[in-house]
Amino acid sequence: MSGREGVAGAAPDDPRGPGAPLSAGMSLTCGGVSFSYEEARAAIPALRDVSFELRAGGSLALMGASGSGKSTLLQVIRGLDEPESGAVLLDAAGPVGIGHAVLQREVGLVFQAPELQLFASTARDDVAFGPRRLGWPEAQVTAAVDTALDVVGLPPAHFAERHPYALSGGEQRRLALAGVLAMRPRLLLLDEPFVSLDPGTRRQLVGILERLKAAGVTLLLATHDVDLAWALCDELLVLGGGRVVAAGSWDFSTAGRRLLAANRLREPFFVELWRRLGRDPQRAPRTAAEAAEALS
Amino acid sequence: MSSSPDETAPLFDISGLHYRYAGAQADALADLDLEVYEGEFVAVVGANGSGKSTLARLLGGLEKPAAARRALACGHDLLVEGGRTAARRDVGVLFQNPENQLVAQCVEDDVAFGLENLAWPAADIGRRVDEMLARFGLEELRRREPHMLSGGQKQRTALAGVIAVPRRVLVLDEPTAMLDPAGRDEVLTAVRELGGEGLAIVYITQEMDETVGADRVVALERGTEAYAGNAGGLFADAALVRRLGLGLPAAGELALALAERGRDLPGLPLTMDELLDALGGAT
Amino acid sequence: MKATIAQYYAGDSLLHRLDPRAKIVAVSALAVALFVRDSFAGLAVYAAAAVLAYVLSGVPLAWFWRAFRPLLWLVALTFLAQIVFAPGEPFFSFGFVHLSWRGLELATYLSLRLVVLVLVGSVLTLTTPSIALTDGLAWLGRPLRRLRVPTDELALMVTIALRFIPTLFVELDTIMRAQRARGADFRRGGLRERTRSLVPVLVPLFVLSFRRADELALAMEARCYRPGAVRTRLHPLHAGWADAALLVVTAAVIVAGLLV
Repeated sequence: MSGREGVAGAAPDDPRGPGAPLSAGMSLTCGGVSFSYEEARAAIPALRDVSFELRAGGSLALMGASGSGKSTLLQVIRGLDEPESGAVLLDAAGPVGIGHAVLQREVGLVFQAPELQLFASTARDDVAFGPRRLGWPEAQVTAAVDTALDVVGLPPAHFAERHPYALSGGEQRRLALAGVLAMRPRLLLLDEPFVSLDPGTRRQLVGILERLKAAGVTLLLATHDVDLAWALCDELLVLGGGRVVAAGSWDFSTAGRRLLAANRLREPFFVELWRRLGRDPQRAPRTAAEAAEALS
Repeated sequence: MSSSPDETAPLFDISGLHYRYAGAQADALADLDLEVYEGEFVAVVGANGSGKSTLARLLGGLEKPAAARRALACGHDLLVEGGRTAARRDVGVLFQNPENQLVAQCVEDDVAFGLENLAWPAADIGRRVDEMLARFGLEELRRREPHMLSGGQKQRTALAGVIAVPRRVLVLDEPTAMLDPAGRDEVLTAVRELGGEGLAIVYITQEMDETVGADRVVALERGTEAYAGNAGGLFADAALVRRLGLGLPAAGELALALAERGRDLPGLPLTMDELLDALGGAT
Repeated sequence: MKATIAQYYAGDSLLHRLDPRAKIVAVSALAVALFVRDSFAGLAVYAAAAVLAYVLSGVPLAWFWRAFRPLLWLVALTFLAQIVFAPGEPFFSFGFVHLSWRGLELATYLSLRLVVLVLVGSVLTLTTPSIALTDGLAWLGRPLRRLRVPTDELALMVTIALRFIPTLFVELDTIMRAQRARGADFRRGGLRERTRSLVPVLVPLFVLSFRRADELALAMEARCYRPGAVRTRLHPLHAGWADAALLVVTAAVIVAGLLV
């Protein structure tokens, strides 16, 4: 990103007030996005003509084998790389003009193993990094940091002054997430957020994402865990070799299942369970709690 | 897979094991007992902070116990430095992070590392390395550099390097925690095969479904033993499993959720089939 | 992964098959000989030997050129520096630039010598993988053990460092991107601001490396590594007749260069 981010400057005063919940989501449209990177002086196509839509407040699971282009796509959407052809439209605003750059600041990207990016000496300072880079006044930064720490389950009273490296692995993961949430993203991109998480933190993270969804944030979740994708996301986008091989609502018809299998994805557990219990798989529950309700 | 305990001396004969990290408030391990016999597959489960990784390092002779009534690994006394050094020869340890176990610039050289350290003659090293590469499906990756390997390939390389030194027991500390599903399958298959060949295995994990096939399960909670016995006994106690903070497959989560709503299933199912059976059989 | 200077070219030439120790000794001796005596004739002998060695190595010209090109500026600089500061009667002056025949002669000689030096060194690095180089240096450095220099441990350290360089590059790139996604800008501002902007990248990289060192040391101990202990190698170094021949030929070339 060029220096324009800092110059375009202090964001307008947040009309929702410092204690407001994270704001409503952004819509995303990718139209024919292609991207290659260079390795050993050869151009390796990573994304080929990727097109899909994600409505504001929607939730999309991005799936596909390692190397299928998931991480690349997320980074292109965030604006870290320019597509060589095609366009990324945020809230229907195209890539030309300052409007797009401003919107990109409202797109949050949580990398794989995000705890690797922790560097400050207190949790507060680390989480404040993003908001400060956005040029917000210090009072707004503090409010955003406190809110973000609360959302990820690290109450500021106990955690704000702790050293990031003194925290447990799960706490560090959540702290890194707070660092992105503090920037109040309206579109949240997550790259395999559940990998190497202990079971407790995994459960917590699912809860955090559910609350963000409920608050209206648009969610784009890259994951290889089909059950977590089913629990959190209304729609599905499957990449294979950089191309879109499936996009849209979950489809458990025979054709749909064949498509999943062809991409080495099994059916979500509860979908298969519903099918084997003789119930309609399309109406299968998303979580254990829902399933238990239905079976009680 | 298990042998009769009366006839052979245990590979691990540990009693009253204590360990505390410098400056820590509490013991990482407190008064722990553990016995593992030839050919056994023992699963050690516990949440973060339960002492699992500390135990792995102690069993491998990589750390000195603070105290113990008895701490023998393959007959070597872990309380004595010479004993620990000798234990490292008989006890193999595979760690969680595949990246931070590979030392050499290609797969072949890394698998050879342990044998080079033991000053084996070059020809013998060559033969053993060939054997290991074939065994773990790494032949085509022989000259590949570590940064070009997938997570599963790295972990298999590390495992080949550990097993290249003929071991009497293998300790694995959450070996699949950082891998994607494909890598996880590769490593679990390799480990099950080793177990099937009769190598004693201590498998440390937070995920219940990786304990499938274990002869015994030991559960740790804050450095002490919360359960030791056969897997079935632990699976029958849903409340204990929940308290231990372990990772359950979807079938298990559903069973716990049903129990919370007053519908108790017999035992804790881990697979879809077990769940369907339990649902079919319950009221 | 960008190619580093004079990176190894995997091949099967005569030079590739020679023992790294012999090659290191031969190249070092030639490098020293280059500086013993200033003579175009001698330089020509060494240049011919270097070119012959290069041809025998079978390394494609394009590969060598890629290794050599970054040093072209150094050669040019050497040439220009001599032209400006050399002694002798100038036949052409412009400002502080004084061109003299003596100066031109010196500039040409020094530049050519630099080229031959690089050529000689490149033949070594192009035909010898880093692990063989490290092993060779460790063996040659054995006498230093008397002075309590841990040569074998140093060699292992170098090997491990080389092993992690590509990994670190990827990790560095990832961390930079992650911080850019949080609004970091590494290209903005003067020297001071840019240096400070590297903190969010360098701190995590350092922490990661320290953690890695801990874990790696543990994994090495688990595979029976002990510093100071005798270690064998999967691919031990074998010196043979060809290596002896290399040393003899090199000695002859050096003598010829000094006498001519």
